[in-house]
Parts: sequence; structure tokens; C-alpha cells
Amino acid sequence: MKRLGLTFLALVFSSLAQSQEIRIGVAMPISGPGSYFGVMDKEGIELALEQLKGAVNGHKLQVQYEDSACSPLQATNVVKRLLDQFKPHIVIGEECSDASLAIAPILNEAKVVQLNVGSVTMKLTESGYKYTFRIFPNAEQQSAPLVKVAQGVLKARTAVILHEKTNAGNDNAEGFKKPFEAAGGKVLATIDFGRDVNDFTAIATRIASLGKVDVLPTFALEGQQVRLSQALAQAKVVKGGGGSGVQMGSIWLPYGFDQKAGQASEGYVRIVQFDPNEKRKMVQDFVKAFKAKYGADKTPTHINAHAYDAILLIAEAVRRGAKDSESIREQFSKFKDVEVTTGRITFDAKGQTSDLSVVHFVETQKDLSWKALNWQ
Amino acid sequence: MSDLAALVAQQSLNGVYLGCLYVMVALGLTLIYGVLNQINFAHADFVTVGAFTAFFTATRFATKLLGLPDAAAYLVSIVAAFGMGALLGLAVNAAVFAPLRERGDELRPLIATIGVSVLLENAQLALFGPIPYQFDSPFARETIRVGRLFFSMQSVVVVGVSAAVIAALYAFLRFTFLGKALRAVAQDRETAGLMGINPGLLIGLTIVIASALAGMAGALLGPVLVLSPFAGATVIVKAFAIVIIGGFGNLQGTIIAGILVGIIEAFTVQYLGSGLIDLVVFVLLLAMLVARPTGLIAERKEENV
Repeated sequence: MKRLGLTFLALVFSSLAQSQEIRIGVAMPISGPGSYFGVMDKEGIELALEQLKGAVNGHKLQVQYEDSACSPLQATNVVKRLLDQFKPHIVIGEECSDASLAIAPILNEAKVVQLNVGSVTMKLTESGYKYTFRIFPNAEQQSAPLVKVAQGVLKARTAVILHEKTNAGNDNAEGFKKPFEAAGGKVLATIDFGRDVNDFTAIATRIASLGKVDVLPTFALEGQQVRLSQALAQAKVVKGGGGSGVQMGSIWLPYGFDQKAGQASEGYVRIVQFDPNEKRKMVQDFVKAFKAKYGADKTPTHINAHAYDAILLIAEAVRRGAKDSESIREQFSKFKDVEVTTGRITFDAKGQTSDLSVVHFVETQKDLSWKALNWQ
Repeated sequence: MSDLAALVAQQSLNGVYLGCLYVMVALGLTLIYGVLNQINFAHADFVTVGAFTAFFTATRFATKLLGLPDAAAYLVSIVAAFGMGALLGLAVNAAVFAPLRERGDELRPLIATIGVSVLLENAQLALFGPIPYQFDSPFARETIRVGRLFFSMQSVVVVGVSAAVIAALYAFLRFTFLGKALRAVAQDRETAGLMGINPGLLIGLTIVIASALAGMAGALLGPVLVLSPFAGATVIVKAFAIVIIGGFGNLQGTIIAGILVGIIEAFTVQYLGSGLIDLVVFVLLLAMLVARPTGLIAERKEENV
């Protein structure tokens, strides 16, 4: 009888502990060419958890990391395993659009919230997924301001669009092309390339042969963009090499890109969703805490910030009473102007952040510092 | 010079430069196949190890410890990558390939190259992390302009080193005793053994030379690649294609095919679009397999390597 009673108590406590946990699955690339995303995401998540002391409102935030490798196949396998074994209430991921699209239907079928922090493809929040939310501006939200700055601030009439051959790259390129042409601009060429392209001299030569190019919107991962900028400078296409073209980009590039690309990045105009120099208290507190944890010489990037924000948003939902997947979804849907390091979050009916305060423009100066551009 | 002529000349220059990089990667592959009749799937990782060796030699050891200027440090890093490739080849051959070869099984060494590849990739991931390194060669910052044509000093270094390596390899194989013995092993391992040549030693030497070449290719590619533990993988498929187009195991064929693929890529970018590079190269590969399965230069065992 005594043994039966103890077993009953153990079951009750175990069940109670289970219900007081918020299980967060994290599907990020930890291997492969996109693995820098996963490493930076983890840094942001760990910092947020540390600051929250791992719990909110008595609910322990339990996190499990999985390597989804920017790959639709691996991401699918990882999410199935998470659902089967970890039984998450929410999954943060993936960074790459193709992988994010692959896991969205699985999570929605399982009625588990997907919080996306880094994919641009329109389809993610345009496919009617009820449990998918994104705090990252989608391709149109990035491209519309880019066109506005290209034509309004830079007075651009001609453009060459450069992008990697992925869902994200295609969407960004299309998102720029349509409104740019609709407003009277001329796209001289749209040049796509695989992620295995290393030498961009031939591409730069082709662009140089196209005549005067005012702007070059570029959508690719950091490593390729560094080489591309250097090749464009060498071919005297862009300002950094003595040309007149202005390379434009969006949130693909982390903080520190300009130092890697060197003088070739001079004049580069781009959207940064996170500016570590922003004076907002939340940003400065985050930068200070990040440096304290990871080293004074390490400045957080937008990838660190997005992952940090994801945990803050989940914590906010829990603070407002969420305790499972369904209630997290409900709370997210009610979010309005929730402040995070990258700006303010208000989800629209499709789960897309609708507040463009998360879009900041900067121009790289001769000394490789940033100058903020007023665009709105 | 007319616009078209300038453009054709410029893209040809770009193509030759790119082709030389491909040749440097493909030489080791073809050398191993020529002598061992074996494909080395770990070759890409030897290239990556070479790139990292060059990176750390150029940016830490040669500049900070030896106090060399940037240009000299980069040249030293090429030699260091060559040496590291050779050492790695020696170690991997002694620890993995040689014992498996002694068992007389041809499949196991092939599978072992995949194992070595995964091991090296993950070891580098653990050591260097996944965030790409920025490997800048001081020569890449210097642009030479001749009329309307331009090329970086780095491309001069790449073409120069490639030419020197090809000449040295050719001389070694043609005029030295070891080179002749190596060719004898490539033609007929058993008969070479009966003539007093130690095939095991020469196979080991082949792996060391091929690995050293891969290391050197990594040093030349480093300032071009997105330097991460997976860097070599981005060029290896193209290198395999070049080896097949040139004629598996045939050095001359590999050199011609490498340059040809580089030039075809440059003109594909200009006139068809960079997104079609792989399509064009692999259509060429398939056409070659159908029309001339032995490659550009027909395989003749006695002339290979």
C-alpha cells in the first residue's frame, strides 16, 4: 500500500513537472556552410536563458538543440525526432528558407508553434500556416524599402540584381525587381549563382560590360558576398573600387562584414535589422551582457539578436499566461509592439511581423564604419 | 581594342586563372587514380587542411612570430601548406590506406577515403569552428591593369605557381629514378615489383605527393574560397569532372581539361548566366563520357602519370 502511494505521488509530481515546463526545440544549422547561423543562434539563446535564470512564471524553459544543417531533408528528420521524443511546445527554426519551408507543414500538422527568426521566403507566412510566426522581415518587407532607398535616396535608374539560387535569393530578387521596374527603373541583368561559386571575377567582368549600373542589390551568404564585393571593386563597378555603382543588400550580412570585405565595401548600402550602436536601452543592455558573457571584443550580430529575441518573445508569452503550444500561439497572435532588441514585434494575421521598425539602413563609410540612413 | 575583343580577352584571362585553380586541385586526384586506380574522396579535405594551414601560417606564424611582411608570409604559407599536405598524406597512408591495401581488398581503401573525409571535416569543425574565416592574400589587393584588361597579382601568383608545379611534376616523373619507378608501378605493379621496385613505398610516395599538391591547392584557393571546414567540398565535384573529362589518371588531359573548364565557365557567365555553369560543365562531362569515354587524351596506361 505504501509503495502504491509513493508511486502515485511520483506520478503526480512528474506530471506536474512536465506541465510546468515549456519545451523549446531549436532546429538550426550547426554543420555545413550555414553553420555560423547555428553557432550565433545558440549564443543568443543561451544568453537569454541565463538572464531569465531558465524559467518564467514558474515554468522552466527547457531547450533542445538539433542540427538541421540548412537542409530541407535534415530539418525534416530533426523536427520529426523532436516531435517524437522531446515533444516541444514551440520550435525555433530554421534559418534557411528551404529548410524552414520543409518543417512548416510538419509543425503545423502537429499543432506546434514554429517561430522563425531568419528566413525571407514569402511562402512561409503566405501558405496559411496557423502555427507559423516570423520575426524576420520577409522578402517583400526587405525589398520594398530597398527600392525606396535605391530610387528615393540614391536616385538609381539602373540595377543589376545578384542573388544565390535558393528560395530566399529568388524571392529577394523578385521582390526588388518588380517594384523597381514598376517605378520606372531598368534592371539590366539578374544574375544568380550556386553556393559553390567561389570566384566572382567572371561575373564582375560581365557586369562591367553592361554599361553604367547605379545599384547592385545582392542577396547571398556572407562568405560569397565578401568575394563578390571584392571582385566588383576590382572590376571598378562599385564605389569601393573607384566605380560609381552602389551595392545594396539586406539582412543576410552579419555585423563585421565590412571589415572582412575591406575597402571594397565602401559605399555599400544595406538593411541591418540589428544595429549594436543603436542607443535604445534594450539594445545597449544586450550588447553589454553579450560582451560580458562572450568577450569584450565580440559584438553581437543580428543573428545573435534574433535568437535572443525569440526567447524573449516566448518568455513574454509565458508571462501572459501561455503554458502550452496552443496558448503560446494565442498569445503570439495578440502581440502588439512588443519590444525586442531588433525593434518592435506585432504579428499580423498570417504570423508575419508587420512592424517595419525592425528595418534600419546603413551605409559603409571609407573607414568601414556605418552611417545610419534615414529612409522612412 | 574593340569592346568585344576586350571582353573576350578579359573573360579568357579570368577562365585561365580559374582553370589553374581547378588544375591544382585535380592534379592530386588524377595522380592517385593513375597509380592506384583508386578515387580519393578525402581529397577535398586535404585541400581544406592546406587552406587552413596557409591561413594560420600567413596570419599568425609568419607575420606575428617571424615578423615577415605580408607578401613573404603568404608565399611561406604556400610552402607550409604543401608540407602539411605531405605530412597528412604520410600519416593517413601509414595509419589507414597502407594496412588496408596489404589485405588485398580494393573496396575497403575506397570506403576508407570516405571515412577519412568525414573524420578530417569534423576534426576541422571542432578545431576551427563553423564561422567562415577571412583569408586575404596581399596579392589579391593589387590589381594590374593593362589597357582595358585587369587581373589581380594573386592570379599571377596562382598561374605562376601552377606552371612551376606542373613543370616540376613533369620533370620528376620523366627524368628522376623515383619518377620512372612510379610510372612503372602505374603501368604494372607486379612486374615493377619483380624489377626490384617497392610498390608499397611508391604508392605511399604517390599519396604524399598528391596530398602535398592538395595542400598547396588549398593555399592558392584560400583567398578565393569561403574558408570553413567545408571549403574544399565546393570545388571537388568540379575537380572530379575535370579528371574525367581529361581522362582519368592522365596528367596532360587533366591540365587541358582544367583550363578548358575554367574558360567555359567564364564564357558561360558572360553569355548564358552563372546559374548555368554546372549545367554546362556536366553536359560537357556527359557528352565526353558518351563520345569519348577515355577522356580528352585517351587513357594509355604507359603514358598516364
